[in-house]
Amino acid sequence: MIVVATNLTYFLAWGFLDPRNNYVGRRPPLSEEQVVQLLQPRNLSDTVPLLERWWSWFSAIIFGWDWGVSPVGQSVNDQVAYRMWVSAELVLGATILATVLGIALGVYTASRQYKIADRIGQATSIVTMNINIVVAALGIVLLAIGFNNMVGTTVFFVTGSSSLGVTGFFPIIIDALQHLILPTIALVIIGYAGTHFLQRSLLLDNINADYVRTARAKGLTKAQAIRKHALRTSLIPVATQVAFTIPTVFMGAILTESIFGWNGMGRYFLETIAKNDIHGTVAIAAFGAVLTAIGALLADIAVVVLDPRVRVS
Amino acid sequence: MPRNSIQPAVGPETTALRLPRKRMSKWELYSRRFRRNRPAVAGLVIFAVLVLFALVAPLLARYDHIELDFLNLGEPPSGEHWLGTTSAGNDTFAQVAIGLQRSLMIAVAVSVGTTVISAVVGTAAAYFSGMFERLTLLLIHFLMVVPTFLLLAMFSNSSGGDWRIISLIMILIGWFFPARVIWTMALSLREREYVHAARYMGVPGMKIVLRHMLPNIGSLLVINFTLGVVAAVMTETGLSFLGFGVKIPDVSLGSLIGSGANTITSAPWLFYFPAAALTLLTVSMALVADGLRDALDPTSAAGGRA
Repeated sequence: MIVVATNLTYFLAWGFLDPRNNYVGRRPPLSEEQVVQLLQPRNLSDTVPLLERWWSWFSAIIFGWDWGVSPVGQSVNDQVAYRMWVSAELVLGATILATVLGIALGVYTASRQYKIADRIGQATSIVTMNINIVVAALGIVLLAIGFNNMVGTTVFFVTGSSSLGVTGFFPIIIDALQHLILPTIALVIIGYAGTHFLQRSLLLDNINADYVRTARAKGLTKAQAIRKHALRTSLIPVATQVAFTIPTVFMGAILTESIFGWNGMGRYFLETIAKNDIHGTVAIAAFGAVLTAIGALLADIAVVVLDPRVRVS
Repeated sequence: MPRNSIQPAVGPETTALRLPRKRMSKWELYSRRFRRNRPAVAGLVIFAVLVLFALVAPLLARYDHIELDFLNLGEPPSGEHWLGTTSAGNDTFAQVAIGLQRSLMIAVAVSVGTTVISAVVGTAAAYFSGMFERLTLLLIHFLMVVPTFLLLAMFSNSSGGDWRIISLIMILIGWFFPARVIWTMALSLREREYVHAARYMGVPGMKIVLRHMLPNIGSLLVINFTLGVVAAVMTETGLSFLGFGVKIPDVSLGSLIGSGANTITSAPWLFYFPAAALTLLTVSMALVADGLRDALDPTSAAGGRA
């Protein structure tokens, strides 16, 4: 499936993007031969038949794990390898935080169903879940700028993933945190509510089950009974859902990255389309498909770990 | 005086007649359940106000959304320009109204399209089963792997910013996920007696799908539709924000926020008003969807007594 989808994207990308457009309007204008001369060694010239282009691209991947070069000659492999970690830094932290927060809130509100805390939690979550990521991120930028002005120094950085010229172990960590904190907050605000709702409704299904009452009868406190018995059963679908959202979150970071100026995969995606970088576009598509597969695999692993009824043969 | 509505004692020793019980119609039941969910009612009111604003505001506005006022460049809100102007002299009030209108049109068009296609394809796949079902599922699973946002960006980038083409592409890319959900729902439906009865009476297959199976998942479709509006608004905003969606001189909430983002410290009103309109729109729609779920879904636990 991944291979087929990636190849299909290759042909689709050729249908919509034309590297030749990059040289339109150049001063001084490039002649036809010059353009072909620039593009041909990069396997991006449309003078070569499409099937032949496809084969040299595809065989390079199969035999040498070489995903090609952009119209200006940058290696796609290098770009993805570097940007993947920039994105991962942002996305993994945000996903973990959002999941933990969502589960914690779900447990808290479910054990106080229809009380004031539950009502407030529900209302907040339904609002935050439906705020657009763009609005949330820009709102946070405004708040952070206001805070910086109030304090007088730059506590939060609103662009980039790190500053230049910072050395030493602790300064680097502090600098990274200063950059990381705002986009992470933005992603967490959007992301936690889904987990919260799911965890709450699943736990409510389990909280009145017989085995929880048995556990209470044996002398466990309510908190212990929920944590050790009810929560474990209701965590399984939550884990599955979280694992499947990983690719969505990665791609969903497109907007966050472009607002906060991070050079991650999301930014790369925009650049490849704007610069008619066909090989880069296809590599991103393949990356997304692989992430989907990893998400499915993680979901299976989570079920095996959490559910003792499922046996691995 | 209103008709006597108190039931007199009924028994062997009286001659009083049993008053006919007042039956509640389906719509009465739905509306009563919906009204009990107060946030949903608030959402509906907000949504109605927004629609009204999108329709009426362009008529009230003193300026057209394309018209440039060179005497007021980048002015904050004033009596002349109610929500301020952009650095090019566009009236923000008119822009927000037109942008809201455009976003709503795209969202409703996309949501109608995806709901109709996914409902028909999903139920038809379940009903006809066999080869047709397998092919449909294969197509759906294949589309799930394809990076849809990438396709969306590539297509709409080359569409030149025409909102009709953008909505069409969003429909083509958005139908398959709900179709899969509806297919699972319809699987149990196809084994029902009334479907068998209709089949043995010789009702043609497509008619069974449209007249017998679809009405039975109607409540799910209504909820899907409202949630689809929210999702479409979000996607469209993202696209337009990045510059792949609606293009100048046409505006949508996304493109307005996108241009407001560049001047967020110097001219924050360009960001505040479209962002507020967008947030109100999505949140109100989500509240309405929540209320509709309570009202329409017979298995919903939140419904309580009628």
